[in-house]
Amino acid sequence: MRSGRMFYSSNNLLKSIGRRSFLLRAGLVTGALLLDGCIKKLSGRKPEYAHIKGKLSGPNATAGHILRDKLPLPDITTQSSIDTLIIGGGISGLSAARWLSKAGHHDFKLLELEDHAGGNAFFGTNKVSSYPLGAHYIPIVNNEDELLVDFLHEHQVITHFDEHSLPFYNEFYLCFDPEERLLINGHWQEGIVPDFGVPDAERKQITRFFELVTKLKNARGKDGKYAFNIPVDESSADEEFRKLDKISFKEYLDSNGFNSTYLLWYLNYCCKDDYGTPAANVSAWAGIHYFASRRGKAANADANAVVTWPEGNGWLMKKLRDGVKEHILTSHMVYDIELSDNGGVSVKVVDLKKQTTSVISAKQLIIASPQFVNQKLLKNIERPGVNYADMHYSPWLIANITVDKLPTAAKGMVLCWDNVAYNTPSVGYVNANQQDVNLIEERKVLTYYLPLCDKEPRMARLAAYTRTYEQWLDIVITEMEQIHPEITPHIEAVEMWLWGHGMISPAVNYIWGDTRKNAQMPIANKIFFAHTDLTGISIFEEAFHHGINAAKQVINTKNAG
Amino acid sequence: MNKKLPILLLISVFIIATCGLIYELISGTLASYLLGDSVTQFSTIIGVYLFSMGVGSWISKYFDKNLLSWFVRIEILVGLVGGTSSSILFLVFESISSFRFVLYALISVTGVLVGLEIPLLMRILKDRFEFKDLVSKVFTFDYIGALIASLVFPLLLIPYLGIVRTSYMFGMLNVAVALIACIGFEHEIKGVKYLKSASIISLAALLAGFIFAEKITSFSESLTYSDTIIFSKSTPYQRIIITKKGRDLRLFLNGNLQFSSVDEYRYHEALIHPVLQALPNAKHVLVMGGGDGLAVREILKYPQIETVTLVDLDKEMTHLFRTNDMLVKLNKRSLLAKKVTVINADAFSWARVQHKTYDAIIIDFPDPSNYSVGKLYTNTFYGIVKHLLNPDGIIVVQSTSPYVAPKSYYTVEKTLQSVGFHTVPYHNYVPSFGEWGYIMAMNMPVYKVPEHYLPGLRFMSKETLEQMLYFPKDMARVQGQVNRLNNQVLVKYFDEEWSNVL
Repeated sequence: MRSGRMFYSSNNLLKSIGRRSFLLRAGLVTGALLLDGCIKKLSGRKPEYAHIKGKLSGPNATAGHILRDKLPLPDITTQSSIDTLIIGGGISGLSAARWLSKAGHHDFKLLELEDHAGGNAFFGTNKVSSYPLGAHYIPIVNNEDELLVDFLHEHQVITHFDEHSLPFYNEFYLCFDPEERLLINGHWQEGIVPDFGVPDAERKQITRFFELVTKLKNARGKDGKYAFNIPVDESSADEEFRKLDKISFKEYLDSNGFNSTYLLWYLNYCCKDDYGTPAANVSAWAGIHYFASRRGKAANADANAVVTWPEGNGWLMKKLRDGVKEHILTSHMVYDIELSDNGGVSVKVVDLKKQTTSVISAKQLIIASPQFVNQKLLKNIERPGVNYADMHYSPWLIANITVDKLPTAAKGMVLCWDNVAYNTPSVGYVNANQQDVNLIEERKVLTYYLPLCDKEPRMARLAAYTRTYEQWLDIVITEMEQIHPEITPHIEAVEMWLWGHGMISPAVNYIWGDTRKNAQMPIANKIFFAHTDLTGISIFEEAFHHGINAAKQVINTKNAG
Repeated sequence: MNKKLPILLLISVFIIATCGLIYELISGTLASYLLGDSVTQFSTIIGVYLFSMGVGSWISKYFDKNLLSWFVRIEILVGLVGGTSSSILFLVFESISSFRFVLYALISVTGVLVGLEIPLLMRILKDRFEFKDLVSKVFTFDYIGALIASLVFPLLLIPYLGIVRTSYMFGMLNVAVALIACIGFEHEIKGVKYLKSASIISLAALLAGFIFAEKITSFSESLTYSDTIIFSKSTPYQRIIITKKGRDLRLFLNGNLQFSSVDEYRYHEALIHPVLQALPNAKHVLVMGGGDGLAVREILKYPQIETVTLVDLDKEMTHLFRTNDMLVKLNKRSLLAKKVTVINADAFSWARVQHKTYDAIIIDFPDPSNYSVGKLYTNTFYGIVKHLLNPDGIIVVQSTSPYVAPKSYYTVEKTLQSVGFHTVPYHNYVPSFGEWGYIMAMNMPVYKVPEHYLPGLRFMSKETLEQMLYFPKDMARVQGQVNRLNNQVLVKYFDEEWSNVL
């Protein structure tokens, strides 16, 4: 199955980073960081940051450690049974819950280890605004995606349909203009595709690239399906397109003569933005999917329009969550799953608040947690053909920066929704207050997104975990100062949120490889899976559909049984 | 007895004289800037000032002992009062009811103090120098100082330093004289150390005032605006500037002209009367923007109107037009009228949560020159406003110039139409703005042109409206897109079209 020279060599590379060398390098990195941390601790916080409030948070780490390090737990005290159990309260889990509930199945519970549901769509709030801690928008959706269109219509994101049946999106949610700007060559240009000061030859390449992806956007395979679609599994099986999954996006670009520095910066930016890692680490199929999978048309917006809210996808998450609220148990962590003899699934749960454990036996189980967690949960259950080592998760840092004013040195476009600077480590910041109809309010929350992709994910994650709040401040503010000189005195607070496993990245041969296919397989018709890492592309739409698919599988099994 | 007068002394006399006249000129100029009618202002101020000087001269006889120390004290006082006078006047101008009182009080105090200076100085010096020489030289330098002051003031000081800095500068000169006296007569002055430090502190304070004068009225603004700035204030939302030249009072918000008192009646009559004359039964009117109260002034001319609700973002703005004498005169106390409710809120969020409906809605926002204001010209906003309009009501929107920015103008019309309104575009000529455009919008398909207008209007009539409804070829319709929150095309059109002109 693993054919192709390209893949072979990259697989070799992966193997070469064996366990021993990993440990050695991990040791070195940790040592260096700890040393750095000690020095920083001794010298304290930089005086110019003294006024900045905030802290470093992230997903519940203690819970993770219980799983990983197998810490001792109290004896099991209670037992219960239920029809269906869902593990994981991210979008996939919530979407599954919604579907069960819509289908009239109410005997289910959703277990979430955090003290809140939401997963990557979780958000925060301060006195200025709500703000995202992860996913923050969805593009207008493909019109044939009826399930998603229905959901959006249900919640008035789509208010009605015009005479051509085109969806009319709620104009309070469609991203307000001005949408995007790029700081390039000392100037803020409108739009993120580099243009200002870009030489003609490079511009031509950029145009050529967009012509190519526009063609691919409408391309269909021999089976009549779109070459690139959302959900990914609706894409054509035609080998002509699927073979693109076997080379990296970088290799694809090289072989097609795309070598413009500006274009490559832009494409790397896009890959970092959606996949948390540069073009060299994602497959060409995934790289093109970013540009060629969205064909949504709206009655009242351009094709590339997006919908967004101050709390980002937290808004959509709340709509999913609020419909199934009574089924959700937060701070409940599953630590073991076994197929029981009586034909069900026996799930061991620890209530992190009460520090008690219990066993729930469920007829069916939907696991909507990421596979790196499932690996621990299903340690006693065989998942044939699933190689967890094929799954790479990119770590991210999200910093929500409250400013009383945004000093701007560079001329050009004014503050937009998405603000990116050319050749900086982050993928820019988003104005959480973009959808505010009020006039000039100088105080804002800016959500800064930093994919930690300068090292391979394991290393970057380890490095990230050792950093202190002060060290993150140093990283975040240094870049913000570069984009907006003199911003530091205007920063009131910075809330840091670290995602150790922010999102799956669609590495070469992941999307159409064996592991993904096998990981979607239910176990014994009792355990079903739903998560974006089963697609390789971490977007709301995928999670939404994965949840529905798992719920449908559960319902079908019931009906069959 | 026959010692020659030291040159330092003569310089002091010269300075005292120059300062005295400068203070008088500053007060006169400020009063005519702020209150208008320069003949009256200058005349009364010179009168009060000279009279106060007389009072000062008369009081001088009651000073018997320690003349030198009194002289130094008076110099410091003149320096402080005169130096800060223009800043004080600018600062109290906003609460105009006390402005005249403060103005004449300041003039009187300065006059009395200046009146004391020369007599005291003469008495100090009379036993040290020959009297006829003293009188001749002191008065010669006094009058030369006056001449220099009267020439330098309009030619150099006002244009280059501005009025606030000029007064601080002469305040410092006055205090400098005090310091010179302290040094020159060190052994004869009682408590010389105390006076010396007092004058140094005063000098420092005045210097600070001189340096930070820009905070009071910006020097750069005096250069930008051809007329004299009589009021400027930065609020959280905008910079309000009022200028005055002769009878012409102008309001600028963020540097954009909002009205000129000379021709604003053309704008406001055109904005209001085509709507209200067509709605003889209108009782409740909503005005959004228009914190100057001038549109409300026109609305209140209709006795049948029962309530006027004015929604303006800026509290400072409506406060100014409710309290400042000159501005209250201009809007005929409209914002103080019983029928009028002023609400300081952001129009968009305010309108979103309203349920009450109105017979007429006047939308008088600043031009869509940035994305923030642009939101108030979107289909979403007009859709909200539509819910606040009675079925047979009329909306009017000030819509920039159809001559300079036809695409912007017709985009406003198209946007209004996109939410289901029937529209009636019209325009007129407002000299200070140029050719200006308005658009009426209504649910009813037909706008019935009014036959009659209120008596006493200076611009509107049946014939005038006929002309206003006609658009010549150079203002013909241009196609644009609907202005939406998610495209804000209007801001782009507006920027393109106006940048060709400005």
